[in-house]
Amino acid sequence: MQFSFTEQIALLILTLAALSSFTYEVWRRLRIVLKGSGHFSLNRFGERAWRTFREVFIHERVIRGRFWPGLMHALVFWGFIAFGVVTLDHFAVGFGKPILSHRADELYSVVAIPVAGLVLLGILVLAYRRFITRPAALGKLSPTSGLVAVFISLLMITYIYGEMSPASVVAKANWWFHSILILAFLVLIPRSKHLHLVFAPFNIFFRPFDTPDHKAVNIDLEAEEEELDAMLSDLTRLSKNQALDIFSCVACGRCTDSCPAHRGGGILSPKDHFILDLRQPMLDSGDVNVLEGINVEAGWECTSCQACTFACPVGNQVEKSDEIRRLQVMVEGQVPQQYQKLFMNLQETGNTEGAFSSSLAETLPKFTPEKEYVLWLGCFARFNLDPNFTQSVENYAKILDAAGVSYGVLEEEWCSGDPANRLGEKMTYQMLMEHNLEQLSTVKKVTTMCPHCAVNVGKEYGKHANLNYEMQHHTQVISSLIENGRLAISGKSSEAVTYHDPCNLSRMLGEVDAPRKAIRATADDFFELEESGTNTLCCGAGGGLWWKKEGTGRTHLVRAEQIVESRAETVVTSCNFCYGMFNQGLGPLTPEGRGPVEVKDLADFVAENAQV
Amino acid sequence: MKIAVLVKQVPGGDSPLRISDDQLWVIEDNVNFITNESDAYAVEEALQLREKSGEGEVVAVSFGPERTQRTIREALSKGADRGIHIEDSYPYSSDPLKIATALSEALKEEQFDLILSGLQSDDYGFGQVGVLLGETLGMTTATLVMSTELSDGSLKVKRELESGWFQWVSLSLPASISIQSGINTPRYPSLKGIMGAKKKEIKSVAPDSATAAAQAISRVYIPQKTKKTEMIEGTADQQVKRLAEVLKKEIRVV
Repeated sequence: MQFSFTEQIALLILTLAALSSFTYEVWRRLRIVLKGSGHFSLNRFGERAWRTFREVFIHERVIRGRFWPGLMHALVFWGFIAFGVVTLDHFAVGFGKPILSHRADELYSVVAIPVAGLVLLGILVLAYRRFITRPAALGKLSPTSGLVAVFISLLMITYIYGEMSPASVVAKANWWFHSILILAFLVLIPRSKHLHLVFAPFNIFFRPFDTPDHKAVNIDLEAEEEELDAMLSDLTRLSKNQALDIFSCVACGRCTDSCPAHRGGGILSPKDHFILDLRQPMLDSGDVNVLEGINVEAGWECTSCQACTFACPVGNQVEKSDEIRRLQVMVEGQVPQQYQKLFMNLQETGNTEGAFSSSLAETLPKFTPEKEYVLWLGCFARFNLDPNFTQSVENYAKILDAAGVSYGVLEEEWCSGDPANRLGEKMTYQMLMEHNLEQLSTVKKVTTMCPHCAVNVGKEYGKHANLNYEMQHHTQVISSLIENGRLAISGKSSEAVTYHDPCNLSRMLGEVDAPRKAIRATADDFFELEESGTNTLCCGAGGGLWWKKEGTGRTHLVRAEQIVESRAETVVTSCNFCYGMFNQGLGPLTPEGRGPVEVKDLADFVAENAQV
Repeated sequence: MKIAVLVKQVPGGDSPLRISDDQLWVIEDNVNFITNESDAYAVEEALQLREKSGEGEVVAVSFGPERTQRTIREALSKGADRGIHIEDSYPYSSDPLKIATALSEALKEEQFDLILSGLQSDDYGFGQVGVLLGETLGMTTATLVMSTELSDGSLKVKRELESGWFQWVSLSLPASISIQSGINTPRYPSLKGIMGAKKKEIKSVAPDSATAAAQAISRVYIPQKTKKTEMIEGTADQQVKRLAEVLKKEIRVV
């Protein structure tokens, strides 16, 4: 195909205009992102690269989360990759300097034409889903998505037509049409959610390894007023990672679909409240100090379960309840009354219940330096938040005794600070943490049955201090005792058993195998719930909601219903809060004629089937 | 608008309470001292009234031993401007008139427009200090206030009466009113508030010792739990008759 000088000038002007528009809009957003606090980390580079390959090029999360739409999206994405060379060559031809020889172009088209057909299939199915099926998660109809669907379809059609037809006036017109579509696409991308094309791969690459990844708040009680003001104003700012999230969001709504508060009928929609609501304010102000604008009521509904973050296909750390709540508590002083009582208890007595002694702690051996483990009880167990759980602690103690493991409780164990931390009371958190770190200063190994304590004492304290001890959740200890033969199994139970993954254990500590190994060793009929592993659904008690009790809609019932509706005769869990929620919650939900589902901690289940 | 809010430090309800050896108080080890519940609502109401009127001062006033400064500090961290602490010593005063007189001596120079207090203390529960102080300082008074409306030098309050009845009363200023729990939603001390409170002034005043106490606690004790069992015998009619009598006259539930 030949192009006149005038045509080439026109092409040059159009290309430069589209490219500058694209660059300007991307730069404008990038500049805001770079104003975020912290920095993008390059640590564990290999892992990051491998993750990016899997999640971007293989589309692992995209397909796993929603299989058919995910696969269709993958077709379109892989088409984009395949068409990279074609598109470059297309413009090169316009300037009379083709990259591909005629022969190479012909050869490539043998692959590219079928690929174009697959892209066409993919985009049409996606458009059908978006505009005809209209799942609620996608929100209100987006005209730009329609435009993009039309663009991509026309690009494929014009490409196929161009490859199939001999040079003619119509072919020339077709060439120009194809070019203008591409340039228009360039203009459209940065102004719409289709910017994820540019940002998502970087966002996935830079995504922090820890979930959640909220900035640690260090409070200096001796600070000067200016330092305090600077610290408080810093709390309104997003980090660089969080800012990049906002512009990478593709508004697919998987986070909202997975959110227990949303599924329980609450107002919280992570997609809107934690991500999209921040986008326009950032563009308007050109800055990242937008956290004050988030819907507060929605923020108090969050269970901090991290389902949203795990569901996100573009690598966002979605949850912002930490940011919302710490502003409410530390800057605004607006705190629901139940939580004020909780905070007061923590400050006055070092525990959630305002209690002065624990009858359970008195019956257990005290920790002395020659013992292997500190048995960290946590307030739930110490103060009988569910009286039945006392038996579970005793069962864990029996297992340790039977396996010859020495352990003891700390006399001065205070609350790990989990509720204070998750509810934004970072000053109380710091006070509790400092006390506990002192108690643990010479300790080497700690084990606990509470995943909330395990996350805080074992991981989050590490954001503030160097930890000299190792934290092992009891599922990890029990599983390894079975594996290395120190705990003898006496027989296998025959009831239908399922396992509920606690969010703190599965998503925040990444432990899904240990409890399953222990159950498989002691059960004949183990089956998985539909939502399991890191894809689990929160029981409703996380994020301090255990102490809120009312006003949380049906968040606490959704998971309980799933368990009652499964074929389980026993549900095993490994978190005291989940245990308490199900112990209270399953009974009333059980329909007449169906036997009650037994709720057991992993320690109960293993103790029943082991020589203890 | 210059507002005083009376706050009292009381033992927290969850604390294990053991009677002291002299039987005049409780053993204070392991006791959690907290702000009296209705006083916390009075503090919030005072702060909201100051915010609504756009200017003025809220002064947190407490009568009690040294530890009571923490309760004043809590009000300061929520936004009160300064504190006045009238020192009491053991055995603690338990005569409302004496306490009110000591408070009036310390506060008369201040010329407050409004004095707010909690409805009653959760330890002694006399419920009189706010009213007596108002009378001593020549103010109008109202008790059990559930709602306030401030307009041009006068204060309209909604009072709780018996059996679900309410009453609206207009008071001229200066006035002293006692606040019922639940009137508002108390705020939580923000970090800035806590840090700022460290620099706020708490003035300590020695109590006026001239006034003699007209009443004092003579003995603190835990109520004896008693149990009584009566077997009702006789014919069905006699049993019913006796049972009705017990329910009506002795247990008084019907």
